[in-house]
Amino acid sequence: MNVIEARELAKSFWIPSAKRETIREHVIHFYRRRSFERLDVLRSVSLDVRAGETLGIMGRNGSGKSTLLKILCGIYRADRGTLIVRSPVTPILELGLGWNPELDGVDNVLLIGTAMGLSLRQARRSLDEILAFAGLERFAGMPLKHYSSGMAARLAYSVAFKAVRDVLVLDEVFAVGDQEFRARCEARYRELSAQGHTVVLVSHEPRIVSAFCTRAVLLEGGTIVKEGSGEDVVRDYAERMAAAS
Amino acid sequence: MRAATAPAGQRVDVPGMLWTLIRTDFKSRYHGTLGGFVWALLKPALMFVVLMSVFSLIFASTPNYRLNLIVGLFLWEFFVEATKTGLISLHAKAFLLTKARFPPWVLVVASLSNAVITLAVFALTFLAYLVAIGQAPGALEVALSLLYLVLFFLVVTGFSLGSSVLFLRYRDLNQVWEVITQAGFFIAPIIYPLDIIPERYHIYLYLWPPTPVIQFSRAVLVDGGIPTLKAHLLLVAVAAVVFTAGAALFRAYSPSAAEHL
Repeated sequence: MNVIEARELAKSFWIPSAKRETIREHVIHFYRRRSFERLDVLRSVSLDVRAGETLGIMGRNGSGKSTLLKILCGIYRADRGTLIVRSPVTPILELGLGWNPELDGVDNVLLIGTAMGLSLRQARRSLDEILAFAGLERFAGMPLKHYSSGMAARLAYSVAFKAVRDVLVLDEVFAVGDQEFRARCEARYRELSAQGHTVVLVSHEPRIVSAFCTRAVLLEGGTIVKEGSGEDVVRDYAERMAAAS
Repeated sequence: MRAATAPAGQRVDVPGMLWTLIRTDFKSRYHGTLGGFVWALLKPALMFVVLMSVFSLIFASTPNYRLNLIVGLFLWEFFVEATKTGLISLHAKAFLLTKARFPPWVLVVASLSNAVITLAVFALTFLAYLVAIGQAPGALEVALSLLYLVLFFLVVTGFSLGSSVLFLRYRDLNQVWEVITQAGFFIAPIIYPLDIIPERYHIYLYLWPPTPVIQFSRAVLVDGGIPTLKAHLLLVAVAAVVFTAGAALFRAYSPSAAEHL
């Protein structure tokens, strides 16, 4: 069974020749015409994600990977196309950034945890486990503003791995923290995969895609240019990168 | 082909998330200390005491005027504080909106909590004062004043829903709103009695939502009268229009909110 079915998804952003973000700018420049350049981030993407598989997405910067993930997670809306998502999705996107810096680790875990789908009771019950996974038990009561970026990212991934729903969407997840933390993330990923979770994974790292993905797609210029096994797509990606350099 | 998305049911514990947002907002505002918590509760009560003491000296001969003034000031303060934080609520929680999928209205409603807590403490203090001076309102008056507060909350929520999505497109909307509320302070009969304005203009003043709430609350709590059914229907209509318009704007624009952050 397919848990995600995307057909001809398209997404564009309109880049204005002059930015107008305030009422004042709109009023002052009322009579001045603006031109807009259309940036087609996704042109036509169709893909199926089957239950229990790990689908890798590769592509250069600007190829539309992050936009596609945000659409699959329901954070962005596609301009055109159809998307059917049959199971709840847990997004793990750019988690190292953000958080509330004034709050301590515990409150941030409860905040992000409930936003990611844990009930408040589950989030409270899992606190020790989340902090232990991140290796941050000693810093639980410290405001986030005193955490290093690596510590904040570790905490974010720990929450996300605990809040996992049926489908997990990961953006460069294994690029965070030190080697020990990455190994822990990989072990947790294998555990989730063995439990039957479906995973959509974006990575630039050939080793990750080859090792973890049952299938993969290569995005270029907002369309899928290659679909196949993890190894096939990695090879194609490497050849295109070599040709471009 | 139009975009048609059908995300599966995203199970979010809305009450749990709402409570966590309210608690953490409160905590960051008062630095999570016991003193901060006590101060948050004491502040409106102390403000009431200070204003009562000052107004008792200035308006000694007109006791109802000073009570009416205090009711007006606190309701106005709630309106300004709640709309100000509601307007920027989505932007202030961008770090959640761009990373997880949950009903975004939760952020807007949670942002109003601090103003609601302040108003609730004031209402209790004010009621205690009325009881202490032997002017305790009856059950009907208390119920009506609660109804006005609920309708006022609807107005503020509707405004916050609509303005929070517009703020993502117009980043100086908060400054414009600040100017409007400065003028609005004088449109609402807070420091002056409504009687000094010719009656034919009253209907316009009543269209400014704080006006009916302030006037009706004063009538039932201080002056001992109950506004007419027609006046109540006008207030319900104003609250319904503001809430519906705000909710419609939010429904139209909130799905693309993350793209403007």
